[in-house]
Amino acid sequence: MSELLRAYLTVVVFLAAAGMLVGVSLGMGRLLRPKRPSAQKAMTYESGVDPVGSIFGQSQVRYYIFALLFVMFDVEAVFIFPWALGLEVYGVFGLVEMTIFIVILALGLLYAWRKGVLRWV
Amino acid sequence: MVAQNIAFGVLAAATSLAAIRVVTTRNVVHAALYLVVVLASVGALYILLTAEFVAAVQILVYVGAIVVLLLFGVMLTKATLGEDDQLDNDQRWLGAVIALFLLGTLSFVLVDAFGDDKLPSLEGVSRATLEAQRGSGAVGDAIFSTFLVPFEVVSVLLLAALVGAIVLARRD
Amino acid sequence: MDVLSGPVAGVFRAPDVDYHAFAPELVLVAVLVAVLVVDLVLEGRGRRLVGGLAGIGLLAAMVPVLTLAVDGANRSMVGGAYVVDDFALVFKGLFLIAGYVTMLLSSDYLADDDYYEGEYYFLLLSSVLGMMVMASSRDLISIFVALELLSIPAYMLAGWRKRDLKGNEATLKYYLLGVFATGVMLYGMSLIFGITGETVLTEIGSKLQGPGASLPLVSLGIVFVIVGFAFKISAVPFHSWAPDTYEGAPTPITAFLSVASKAGGFVALMQLVFIGFLGRDDVWQPMFWVLAALTMTVGNLIALRQTNIVRMLAYSSVAQAGYMLLPFAVAGDLAKGPGAAMGPMTTYLLIYAAMNLGAFALVLAVARKTRSGEIASYGGLFEYAPGLTVLMSIFVFALAGIPPLGGWYGKLVVFKTLLDANTPWAIVLGVIAAVNSVIALYYYASVAREMWMRPVPDGDTTPVRVPAGLTAALSLCAVATVVIGVYPQVVARFGDLAVFSLLP
Repeated sequence: MSELLRAYLTVVVFLAAAGMLVGVSLGMGRLLRPKRPSAQKAMTYESGVDPVGSIFGQSQVRYYIFALLFVMFDVEAVFIFPWALGLEVYGVFGLVEMTIFIVILALGLLYAWRKGVLRWV
Repeated sequence: MVAQNIAFGVLAAATSLAAIRVVTTRNVVHAALYLVVVLASVGALYILLTAEFVAAVQILVYVGAIVVLLLFGVMLTKATLGEDDQLDNDQRWLGAVIALFLLGTLSFVLVDAFGDDKLPSLEGVSRATLEAQRGSGAVGDAIFSTFLVPFEVVSVLLLAALVGAIVLARRD
Repeated sequence: MDVLSGPVAGVFRAPDVDYHAFAPELVLVAVLVAVLVVDLVLEGRGRRLVGGLAGIGLLAAMVPVLTLAVDGANRSMVGGAYVVDDFALVFKGLFLIAGYVTMLLSSDYLADDDYYEGEYYFLLLSSVLGMMVMASSRDLISIFVALELLSIPAYMLAGWRKRDLKGNEATLKYYLLGVFATGVMLYGMSLIFGITGETVLTEIGSKLQGPGASLPLVSLGIVFVIVGFAFKISAVPFHSWAPDTYEGAPTPITAFLSVASKAGGFVALMQLVFIGFLGRDDVWQPMFWVLAALTMTVGNLIALRQTNIVRMLAYSSVAQAGYMLLPFAVAGDLAKGPGAAMGPMTTYLLIYAAMNLGAFALVLAVARKTRSGEIASYGGLFEYAPGLTVLMSIFVFALAGIPPLGGWYGKLVVFKTLLDANTPWAIVLGVIAAVNSVIALYYYASVAREMWMRPVPDGDTTPVRVPAGLTAALSLCAVATVVIGVYPQVVARFGDLAVFSLLP
């Protein structure tokens, strides 16, 4: 196996360990616990208050706009990584190009802020 | 090479099964969660191909952001979150036939074109040589040379998408 | 495990940025940023100011296009991925003018109702910027990003009437089918990239000349890419979005989609086919033959049955795309080389832009009084708006291809290309096109009959008040349509220019 992939073996080992942790603890619990189901136990726990109505409530459009802002700056981050790694190589040219990129994207944040979609009331 | 092949087999199977579940499950939220499995497995496949940057982007953008957007989109709708029988329509058999035909065609042309190609073995290749071959920072170099124009255009594209979405989504 | 490793100093060389070549795009970016910021600062109080700024910006971007045209040099930048040549400049000019005319159409339309104005202009400018970039993009990734930039604002603008159900339908259909087509196109591009390992079109072109290029994979890739753009130009069978979107979108946007967006699709197709896929005319030529024949015939036949003027113009613009596809279908058989097919297509596109924008401008003007899109509402238009009637007659007969109005010259050069090819298939296609021209004449003439001969449906003969912006747009289009018809050399010159320098 190549050096590169061997490095990722750590990830696989941790993944397996995480899976085992969950599997073993739940499995042990299932083996040891008594099994007497009742309607009360199956009910969702809401800090002692009986839950009312359906689990589904239509959420506000605000969440969507926040998620959209997140996607936008996520993509921005993706472009910043390769630039940051070669900061000196790309020099002034890279800095100028990246500044234009970031300023144009920052206008999106400015727009959202001025239009009041960031206010949470 | 053997370990790589096993890893590929496992990941490919996981991707395909999860992808089938995305379209067959009757619960929209489950579909979105199966999509996470599909996208993450594809990210792992990129690592097997030594495309680490693409893998990182895959996890960061697709698993991290797009699926969240998708889930918020589902939460916005008036549809119930549970099972929904109305997700199917009468044309699903026609759709299946076309999908199978497309699968056959694509498999044929891909095997025809690349069937005999072998990926270069990475056995004993050190990380340094690998990077020297690929050209370290190839992504950054490409962004700031050949793809300079699309790179800058992407910023306007994202800005336009955000402004348009805010206008359409705002309550007024 | 460092996922990201840095580049090595010395390998990377910053590309020489030719600011003159980028000037039109830079001006446009500056203007669209200014539009957004001014609108934010004034918070919608300076509606006129923002519109004026956007209009002036489009005209200002025209200046560097002209200086570049005078300069005349072919500027190839960033490794051949971005090229400013005569072809690019002709289309950049077209996009800017089409954008400006759309702006003229929009100003009063927006003022009539409570629409978001600043954002509207911002998105319109973004879309025009995408088209400008498209005209110079000679690499797969640039073409894809340019396509997204010209499409995404258009998806939003199509649904600008948020509370109108037809507007919602328009944007939803346009968006869903649009992204699906883009997906298919991207898959095709990935297949092409997979086999050639190149994204720059000239490199792809040279790799697809050799014997290894005859793989089925390459053919499938080319088919997928063309399907993606066939959606953009609303070629049958990828046209199903067009009538509903055209009907539901704000009418100025409909005009913009039917002219600028369609031209953007054609520009991309010309670049891909005549540079990247040049060696594989065995794949695209039959495909374009079928697309052209279907597009003309289906578009015209369905247009016959329409009672709504916007839907009729939508199907008419589908059919017009069919005529524009004709040179593609015979390009490989031309004695002077495939490049000879580009002139006629460009010529047709330029003429089509003038007459179709004019027709939509007129629909807007008439709808200001009648508040209706039915063809029947044009009854007796001559009695109370003789000027508009004459103009509409000019536009519809130009679209039908009656001399001496613009359209006939477009048809002439396209038919001439078919005759030049002189293969049985080209002749058959020519006959189909001729039959279609006759069918088209019927529905174009029926609009004229309605205006000139029928009585006014509701007896209301108060004159139509046409605002200044609309008048300017109408006169611009009418003058262009008539002048091109009488002196076709004007536009033929542009057609001759718009051939890639590298082609035989």
